[in-house]
Amino acid sequence: EPALSKGNNCLDAAKACNLNDTCKRFRSAYITPCTSSTSNDICNKRKCHKALRLFFDKVPPKHSYGMLFCSCRDIACTERRRQTIVPVCSYEDKEKPNCLNLQDSCKKNYICRSRLADFFTNCQPESRSISSCLKENYADCLLAYSGLIGTVMTPNYIDSSSLSVAPWCDCSNSGNDIEECLKFLNFFQDNTCLKNAIQAFGNGTDVTVW
Amino acid sequence: KGWRSQKGKNRGCVLTEIHLNVTDLDLGYETKEELIFRYCSGSCDAAETTYDKILKNLTRQKKLVNDKVRQACCRPTAYDDDLSFLDDNLVYHILKKHSAKRCGCV
Repeated sequence: EPALSKGNNCLDAAKACNLNDTCKRFRSAYITPCTSSTSNDICNKRKCHKALRLFFDKVPPKHSYGMLFCSCRDIACTERRRQTIVPVCSYEDKEKPNCLNLQDSCKKNYICRSRLADFFTNCQPESRSISSCLKENYADCLLAYSGLIGTVMTPNYIDSSSLSVAPWCDCSNSGNDIEECLKFLNFFQDNTCLKNAIQAFGNGTDVTVW
Repeated sequence: KGWRSQKGKNRGCVLTEIHLNVTDLDLGYETKEELIFRYCSGSCDAAETTYDKILKNLTRQKKLVNDKVRQACCRPTAYDDDLSFLDDNLVYHILKKHSAKRCGCV
């Protein structure tokens, strides 16, 4: 038991959040709508998304990123990290849309469109740079990534063994657009710039950019 | 002057805080998360209102022998924000009105 709980950074981040009045308030403010079932659904997704956006807007990154980008050594930790955004409400849906269709619905919304553009700009990988990012700025990449939480493009960790993330979509039924779709999806799933940025925050390395 | 002396009388009733594990609350949750619990404590001996003064005087004169009259108690007049936490089975819980924000002799 102590061996398992040792170094659970995600738990430590949750503790720190509840000891901070601002973080505690905005955390409860999204947990409430994201876990309240309505008459015909498990939650009101729109209210959950709005409260999640408010959480990442108002709570200092030290606390919000602490819970979202904590580094893990065991499943108890990674599962807690995956639950941060209450995925059963904010992320999962009955059906998985095609990523390009999801991108189209994102582009119809002002907030989603601008935040997706920020993400593609600030998390652009570049294999020749030391950071693996074209912009060489982890903080901007993490800000852009967390900015997507609470939009239809809400991303989350897809498994408990890696830092791979994706929005709730896939590339089935892409037809001739399969390459474009995979390119879009892989920008999330297989992005060394984003992975390095998350890792750097979790390890507390590269502290100068915060 | 009146305001100052009035306030000074109930200086005993104050907000106090203690750092606890959620499990210390003994509400049946299994989790490793923690919280700051704030509570009201201290005396409200000094009569705060004329009402309290009258009750005290009547009790002293034994005019209210059959009635149990209560003096003012140090109680929360406002509660802290909700607290949420994730339990060991990855289920979220929310506690409401669990911790004091302001205290008063009521």
